[in-house]
Amino acid sequence: MKKLIDILTGMGTAAWTCWICALFSVYLAFLGAEHAAGFMAGPGMQVIVAVLIFLIGYSGMRAVRRRRLDSAALHIGCVCVMAGWLWGQHANRSATPDNPAKGSMALIDGDVSDALWTGAYLTNFVGKVPFSIKLEKFFIEHYEQNGFDREAGRMAPIREYRSRVTVSEPGKAPYVANIRVNQPLYVRGYHIYQMSWGNTVDRFRRPVVYTVLQFIRDPGLPLVYSGFMLLFVGVLLFYVRVFRIKQPEELEDKA
Amino acid sequence: MTLKMTLQGGLIYLTLLFFLATLVAHRFNRKSLRRGFWAAAFVAAVTSLTWRGLHTGHPPMQNLFEFFLCMAASLWPLSQWSRWKNGIDTETRDALLGIVILFPAGFILSEDVRRLPPALQCPLFIPHVASYVAGYVMLARASLLALPLLRKDVEGGALRAADVAVRQTAAAGFVLLTAGLLLGAMWGKICWGNYWHFDPKEMWSLATWLMYGGYFHYRLKHGLRMHRATTVLLWLGLLFVVLTLTWINLSRLFSGLHNYA
Repeated sequence: MKKLIDILTGMGTAAWTCWICALFSVYLAFLGAEHAAGFMAGPGMQVIVAVLIFLIGYSGMRAVRRRRLDSAALHIGCVCVMAGWLWGQHANRSATPDNPAKGSMALIDGDVSDALWTGAYLTNFVGKVPFSIKLEKFFIEHYEQNGFDREAGRMAPIREYRSRVTVSEPGKAPYVANIRVNQPLYVRGYHIYQMSWGNTVDRFRRPVVYTVLQFIRDPGLPLVYSGFMLLFVGVLLFYVRVFRIKQPEELEDKA
Repeated sequence: MTLKMTLQGGLIYLTLLFFLATLVAHRFNRKSLRRGFWAAAFVAAVTSLTWRGLHTGHPPMQNLFEFFLCMAASLWPLSQWSRWKNGIDTETRDALLGIVILFPAGFILSEDVRRLPPALQCPLFIPHVASYVAGYVMLARASLLALPLLRKDVEGGALRAADVAVRQTAAAGFVLLTAGLLLGAMWGKICWGNYWHFDPKEMWSLATWLMYGGYFHYRLKHGLRMHRATTVLLWLGLLFVVLTLTWINLSRLFSGLHNYA
C-alpha cells in the first residue's frame, strides 16, 4: 500500500496527473458552465476529488517533512481549496428549508420577505433565512449620454444597479444597507448579491421594476480562502527558490 | 483586415514600425540604433495605451484590443528585467513578440469604445487583468528563450545558462498566472456569488495553469537530461495561452461570463 501511494505521488505521476486534469478541464469547457457544474456535483466526481485531495495532501505532508516549504504550501493550498469546495457542495446537498444554502428573492419597492426561491421564474420554494429584508428602493443609474449615444439615438449604458434595503435581524435594531453589483451584503452567514432585475406590473396593473437578490451560504469559503493564501505564499516561495539557482558563470567563479 | 484611420490606430502602427525597425537594426548589427528603436517602441506603446485610457475614461483592460495594448507596453520593462536578472539580451525576440501581439490590435480587432458595465467596476479589475497580461507575456518570452535548447550545437555551459534563464522566466510567469487565477476567483465570489463557475474561460485558464504545473513537475523529475521534451512542454503551455486568449474569447462555442472581447 505504502509503495502504491509512493508511486501515485511520485514526480512523474504528478506531472501526468496535472496534464490529465488539464485535458479534463478542457473537456468541461466544451460542456459549458451549467453542465460542467452539474457533472462535478455528481457523487463519482466528488469521490475522485477526495482521492486527489488525499494524494496531493500526502505530497504536501512529505514536503513538510523534507522542509520544502514552497512545495508544501502549494500542495496544502490545493488541498484546502478542493476540500473547501467539497464542504460547500455538502452544504448545498444537506440544506433544509430552515437552513437554506442558496436561493433568490424578487422584490418591488416596499416588499418585505425572508423566503428564498429557485427556478427560472423563481417559483420553487427553497426555505427561509433567519432575518428579513425590506426593499426600500431599487435604483438603475445610467452613464451620461455622450455624442455617440445621441447620434445613435439610444440611451447611455447602465452604470449601476443598486437595491437599498432594510435588514431586520432578530435581537438587533433594523439597519439600512446598499447592495450593488460587486458589493454584496453579508448577514448571518449569507452573502446577498444584486443578481438581476426586470419589469412587471403591481396589483393595480401599474408598471413597476423588480430586483432579484441572490442569497448564498458557503461554509467552505474560509477554507477556500486560506487555500488561496497558501497557494500564493507557496508560489512566491517557489519563485524565490528558482531564483536562488546560480548562473553557470557564477558557479565557475567559485570553482 | 482593416486599417484604423484614427489617432489610436496611428499610435499602434508607430509602435509596430519601431518594433520592425528594432529587428532591421539587429539584422544590420547596429546595436545602439536597435536600443534606440526598442526604447522608442516602448514610448509609443505607452502613449497608445495612455491615449486609450484617456479616450475611454476607464483602465484600458476591458477587451482583447485593450489587453493586447497592455501586453505591448509591458514588453520593454520585462526585457529589462531579463537583462537585470539573467544578464541576457532578449530585445530582438521581444520585438518579434511585440509584432505578433500588436498585429491583431492594429488590423483585426475593433477599437469601439464601450463604457464599463457594473460587473467590471471592481478594485480587483486592474490587478486581475494586469497579472494575466504580464504572466502571458512572461510565459511567451520563456518559450522564445527556450528555442536554443532545441538546437544540437548548444550544450554544456551554454545549455545550462539558457536553461536557468528559461526556468526563471517561466517561474515568474507562473507566479503571475497563479495570482491572476486567484484574484479572478476572489472577484468571482464578490461579483457573481461563487469563486468558481465552471465558465469555459475559467476552465481553459485552469487547464493552462495545470499544463505549466505539469511542466515544473516534469522539469524537477528529469532535470536537464530531457531538455528538448521540457521545451516542447513549454510550447504546449503557450498553445493553451494562445487558445485561451483567442479561440475562447472570440468563438460563440464558449459563451459565458467572460464574453467582453
